[in-house]
Amino acid sequence: MSGVRLTWRLRHLIEPVAGVVGVLLIWELVGRHAANATLVPPPATVWRAFIGMLDGDLPVDIGASLLHLGIGYGLGATAGLLLALLAASSKWLEAVIDPFAEFLRPIGPIAWIPLAILLFGVGRAVPVFLIFYAALFPIFVSTLDGIRRVDANLINAAQALGASRRMVITHVILPAALPSVVAGARLSLGVAWMSLVAGEIVGGDAGIGWRILWYQEFFQMDRVMAAILIVGVLGLAADGVLRMVQHLARRWNPAAAETST
Amino acid sequence: MSHSMALPLSTRTRVLLPLGVLLSLLLLWEMAVQGTRTEGLVPHPIGVLASAVSLTASGVIFEAMSGSLARVVIGFAVGAIIGIPLGLAIGTIAPLDRALRPLLDGLRSIAPIAWIPMAILWLGVRGNAALFVVAYGAVFPFIVNASQAARLIDRRLVAAARALGAGPWVMFRSVLLPSTMPMIFTGARIALAFAWASIIAAELAIGIKVAGHGRSVAGIGQLMVETLYVKRDVDALVFYMLAIGVISFAIDAGLRHAQKKLLPWSRA
Repeated sequence: MSGVRLTWRLRHLIEPVAGVVGVLLIWELVGRHAANATLVPPPATVWRAFIGMLDGDLPVDIGASLLHLGIGYGLGATAGLLLALLAASSKWLEAVIDPFAEFLRPIGPIAWIPLAILLFGVGRAVPVFLIFYAALFPIFVSTLDGIRRVDANLINAAQALGASRRMVITHVILPAALPSVVAGARLSLGVAWMSLVAGEIVGGDAGIGWRILWYQEFFQMDRVMAAILIVGVLGLAADGVLRMVQHLARRWNPAAAETST
Repeated sequence: MSHSMALPLSTRTRVLLPLGVLLSLLLLWEMAVQGTRTEGLVPHPIGVLASAVSLTASGVIFEAMSGSLARVVIGFAVGAIIGIPLGLAIGTIAPLDRALRPLLDGLRSIAPIAWIPMAILWLGVRGNAALFVVAYGAVFPFIVNASQAARLIDRRLVAAARALGAGPWVMFRSVLLPSTMPMIFTGARIALAFAWASIIAAELAIGIKVAGHGRSVAGIGQLMVETLYVKRDVDALVFYMLAIGVISFAIDAGLRHAQKKLLPWSRA
């Protein structure tokens, strides 16, 4: 019995490793023999480039990108949350806010890049604005949805027990809507991440996306490749963090987490 | 919130109220720009309208849009041709799924636009680099949804069809195709939205790279870069942005409609 379980576990370890190693091998062979090392920098070269970047610009670049992501996402989530609370508080406000959101939603963050450059100039504000915009509408929509699903009995009970309007919001509505908020945040992360990189490449002056173009200027394709892969690792890490938050939120309010995903 | 929801607003109010707010905002905006004499530096509603009329009449916008859309269609098709078979294989063969999952998860997290320097190196700036970026953005929604569709095939249906003597063609035509199509189509919708965002990003990046090298405008992204840095026409920029939004909206609405018509049994 335990032998079966061991081989089962081993298979689940071996297969992914085999997949990654296999692709690395093919990539190395293509880089060394089929193409030249500039066109397709082989993994060993990229790894050396990565080590070289580690005690150079890399920590600064990653820090800058995470700063863009943190500020933009934080502002976008806060604004989305406040807008949703406003829309939920009065049918008049909702009738105004909702069509505006529906109108702006199809205009993706990427389409804003030239205007953002024009408004803020090339610099850090461009990626921050794009992430703000990318997070705003998904979080607005999912928060409003979450608020609408809050059990009316809970609100009535809180009010009957003498809770103020503010207490109802902070102690009943927001906690109950939290899982939907997180689900919306996770859904919007893919687009936000793409906007971050695009914003840094086209209109930024710092961050990992900007650095990709910088290395290209010097034709250091091994470093370009390393930076591209780092973009993937960071994106994976960001999704992992939100997945953890979502897991916590699901324990918090299982019903809302199920319906909102 | 509970008492304000008691009486829903009439449809007339729901239409007229936001419209009124929008018009007054636009009016205020126009007055602010004209009052401060900043036309040309800050976009303003009448200027955007004028740009819309002149750029539509001269056909500039259609030329750029058709260039971009053609690349989106090709990149989307490449994504489908690679993504659907790969996704179906992954969803059917469990070891393949486990072997490729970490790799695909990693690749999926790389924003397509990050590949632009390599794509330019491999394929050149004349449109093909943008094509690579678009195909890269489109392939993953296809893989994810096709593999999920294959996993969700009802085994009892397959067993029942086999017991009733269905051959491979009948099995494919009457069981596998109808049960996987809805989810793959949803993947196609996500892929097309991603492809459209990716082409703009790629063309912007390429436009920035080759700005001032006297190249003709190939797509809406390059046109926007030229408008921003060479022509400095802020009103046209806003019009292009709105046009991109209109296309996104049309793409999504069109595919939703097509899904309802072609695959009436799908729930999405």
